Amino acid sequence: MSVLARELHIEAQEARAERLRTGLLRTVLALGVGFILLPLVIVVVYSFSSVAYGVFPPPGLSLRWYGNLLAQDAFRGAFLRSLGIGMAATAAALVLGFLAALALVRARFAGRELLRAFILSPIVMPKIVLGVGWFIFFARLGLQGGILPLILAHTVVVLPFVVTILAANMVGLDPSIEEAAQDLGAGPLTVLWRIVLPQVRPGLAVSALLAFIVSFDQVESSIFLVRGANNTLPIEMFLYMEKWQDPTIAALSTVLIFFAGLLVAGVVLLARGADLRRLAGR
Amino acid sequence: MRMQGLSALGLLLPALAFMVVLFVVPLGVYLINGFHVFEAGRIVPLWSLRTFIEFLGDPFAYRVIGASLRLSLLVTLLALVIGFPLAYALHTRVHSAAGRAVVALLLFSPLVVSVVVRTYGWFILLANRGLVNTALGALQLLNEPLPLLFNFRGVVISLTHILLPFAIFPIYSVLARLDVSLKETARDLGAGPWEAFTRVTLPLAMPGVVAALICFTLALSAFVTPQLLGGGRVQVLPLMVYNSTVEINWPLGAVAGLTLLVLSVAAVWSLNALLRRLPSV
Repeated sequence: MSVLARELHIEAQEARAERLRTGLLRTVLALGVGFILLPLVIVVVYSFSSVAYGVFPPPGLSLRWYGNLLAQDAFRGAFLRSLGIGMAATAAALVLGFLAALALVRARFAGRELLRAFILSPIVMPKIVLGVGWFIFFARLGLQGGILPLILAHTVVVLPFVVTILAANMVGLDPSIEEAAQDLGAGPLTVLWRIVLPQVRPGLAVSALLAFIVSFDQVESSIFLVRGANNTLPIEMFLYMEKWQDPTIAALSTVLIFFAGLLVAGVVLLARGADLRRLAGR
Repeated sequence: MRMQGLSALGLLLPALAFMVVLFVVPLGVYLINGFHVFEAGRIVPLWSLRTFIEFLGDPFAYRVIGASLRLSLLVTLLALVIGFPLAYALHTRVHSAAGRAVVALLLFSPLVVSVVVRTYGWFILLANRGLVNTALGALQLLNEPLPLLFNFRGVVISLTHILLPFAIFPIYSVLARLDVSLKETARDLGAGPWEAFTRVTLPLAMPGVVAALICFTLALSAFVTPQLLGGGRVQVLPLMVYNSTVEINWPLGAVAGLTLLVLSVAAVWSLNALLRRLPSV
């Protein structure tokens, strides 16, 4: 073979090998996505099963578990409670986190990194430990079983997420705009509200969404703070699952998956909308 | 905004005060219980190290700690082994940015759904007549169902799934920031694809892999999955904390919780120390 022919042959071989690797990696990725989504898909399918015992594939299809779900007031109450707590904790965390993030990003003082680590520490703490701590703490204060302890506890849990995201958003801010405003006579509150806040709106949206999702999902941190009639939704589901495993939980889970999907789709569309508007030069 | 130290402290004060009252104090109150003693069904609030000493001499306690460490190590290993190829494939073999966004969304989508829901999904999958056993049976690979539920195996599988996004995300973040030309240069200089991977890409991706070790801490703290899928056979530290508290044995719960805290903090510190040791990208 001539030198040129040999080089072309080698190139063709390498291209084939590359295509093989691509095919292999793409298959791995597809399998991975399938594995990730499998439990959720199974739950949705199982919610339409016609029988109560754990059989897959289900022998028949039925809507009876959705009917059963609607008949359970406990879940409805728990859902509304989780919703309310999530919104309150998110709001509180946004206020505290906004101020804290700005200070952490802008100011230079000794111990800043230590304070940052302190505020972020609940993320790596075992939530069950915090859960028991809050239980004893609020019991001593005579507040056990109420909604307030749950809101306060969830605020602590989601605050690190809010601070991290907002701080990342604030790093890129131009302080000279704020200084100009101050030179023109604006007080610090005005500067925060009318100059800083509008610039970190995307960060506020993302951290609000994340905070809400994290709060809604809390089990260990809250399981000792709830009283029988006062459960949050994941705890209600958790306790139900410990006793019964019929597809009513699957029906409820499907509803939650659906709402989560709507939420994510909504945020994605909003983000796309914001991008499009920016492109249009608004 | 011009910010002197004092005004910065002013901004931080609400969050700090909130954290001290609602995080440090409850934690302190909880840990103080470790110095009390549980006797004849009541908590005796004297100051004593007896609960600690009993715990450290209790073989059951060591079994629990061992189970916790085993579970966390196994889950972390699996999450890395599965997560790295997925992060790598996503980064290198999905060419459109939109495609990458879609796949990334799919990979992280389970996180918006409650851990109870995800655990329940595994409950259905791993049951004796669940999908896994039915599929394996249909493929003639099994004569009788494999017991995957209410044991250690099932908890490992489901917890790996639940923590997988936390392994994929850091690795993918680091890979996405790598300079592509480095790998191309290696290839141009004659390295084969495997060599380029092991000697250029992999070392540069190490910060991501180390960051993914957060799965270990998250696995240590896992409660819902071992409780619901372990069938009482997977006794890990969070369960010990829970059970002790339910039985009003707060001193034991506090000691177990302190052990869990110490292990978690040690894991995070080691992770950060490792990260600092690595050359930054």
